[in-house]
Amino acid sequence: MSIARFSPFELLLLKSRSQVDTATLLLLAWVLVHRQHVSEGQRRRRLAQVTAQFRHGHELGPVMSIAHSQDLQAIQLAAEVLRKECAKERNLSVIHQAIAVATDDGALSLANHYILRFLADLLSIPPVTLNTLFHELTGTPLGAPDDPSRDAYWQIHDPDYHARKARDAEAAKQQHQQAQAQAEQRQRQKDERQQYKQQKQQEKQQEKQQRQEQASQAREREQQRQRERAHQQDQQRQKQHQEKQQREQAKREQQRSQQDSYQRNSDQNSNQNSRQQEHRQKERGNQQRTSPPPDRTTRALSVLGLTPGASRIEVRHAYRRMAQLHHPDRFYSESEHQVALASARFQRIKNAYDYLMQTY
Amino acid sequence: MRDLYQRLAVSPEADDQEIKRAVANCQHSALRQDAEAVFTIAERRDVYDTLHDTVSDIGRLRARLGLSHGPHWQGDVANDFSLPPDHAISRHDELVDRVSHAVSLYNRWRRLRAPWLLITMLVAGVGIGLALGLTLCLGLLPM
Repeated sequence: MSIARFSPFELLLLKSRSQVDTATLLLLAWVLVHRQHVSEGQRRRRLAQVTAQFRHGHELGPVMSIAHSQDLQAIQLAAEVLRKECAKERNLSVIHQAIAVATDDGALSLANHYILRFLADLLSIPPVTLNTLFHELTGTPLGAPDDPSRDAYWQIHDPDYHARKARDAEAAKQQHQQAQAQAEQRQRQKDERQQYKQQKQQEKQQEKQQRQEQASQAREREQQRQRERAHQQDQQRQKQHQEKQQREQAKREQQRSQQDSYQRNSDQNSNQNSRQQEHRQKERGNQQRTSPPPDRTTRALSVLGLTPGASRIEVRHAYRRMAQLHHPDRFYSESEHQVALASARFQRIKNAYDYLMQTY
Repeated sequence: MRDLYQRLAVSPEADDQEIKRAVANCQHSALRQDAEAVFTIAERRDVYDTLHDTVSDIGRLRARLGLSHGPHWQGDVANDFSLPPDHAISRHDELVDRVSHAVSLYNRWRRLRAPWLLITMLVAGVGIGLALGLTLCLGLLPM
């Protein structure tokens, strides 16, 4: 026994003279709520205008307020009523009204793209019919909706932002240039100072050289006398020096041979180390690859209509059921378009199944 | 339309810091660029969130009505917003159940109203008689 009271829409549905009309009314109001750049009064008037033929016999106000509150349960109830009780001849007129309400002299909003397609699926209207109907009513073909989850969408739809960004970038550039100019000025000043210092130093050096030259001339005379004495001693020293050099050369050759052997050893060690590091890196890469992103698994499961945590056998059963339902050969008798759509669906299901079988 | 929250593995209610971290950790460069374009500016995120709510509502509706493989539900939207069918019973059946329950209660009340009226009349008469007797007793004693 449920304690919950009847919701406003349920009461409305019970009081209504025609449940289908009330359900259609709510769905049209839902479409209208998602239209942009329209005031509340305009919405209500438009709804009254479209549904003048309806036999519901209650006020439009509560319907609009339910649609505004985005009550998912009420919308689900309306969709169920519409699917159960709407005659096949009326399906087209309902979708006709929905398109008219969604687009009169305005572009279709993004949300309404999806809502219209939901209604078309609900009323089992194939895409071809929807496209032709849309084209007849608005004069423009029904294109794929824009995708605000991509960067390209915002580059088109938010040009102010990019103008702002360009301006910021220019300002930053100018600042950078100014800073550079200032730095150059400082460097020039520094250079000038350095040149001045260098000139001074050169002058000092020249003075020093003059003094040194005078002194050296005096020294040379004394040195000539000393050389004559020293010449005899030098001959003896040279003999001793040659013997020393021979000994040193022998020592150096020994040291070289030792160093070479040491270097070879160290090279081998370093090679081994680098190989070990590469091996570790490869292992890490493998570990990253083997752990798949968790959201892909849940997505694949939901494509098969399963909740996370389903077993392998359940996955296989779900795949068989889905494959039988959506196999393109089932739609062979209907139309080429149906077959193409079914094969796209089948491909999606098969991809999900293959993925799950590999990783699960 | 893709579900960026799902692809970044963040909840839609996450605050800016968490989302910034998730975007920075994202390995896919194109996805990271798109996520930066959407999430770094508050207005864009608002626009995206309203559409995200609507589309996920539609995904839920489709799952409940068994329309998650319809010909109009294809591509990225179908991949990201398809939900497994939750086992909520049909709202229409539930409404019918509740109405029939209310009707049976009403009918029972109608049917039981006559005997209950008799019983209440009897109880009221007995009560009045007792009260009268008591007053008489109280009035007679001092006399």
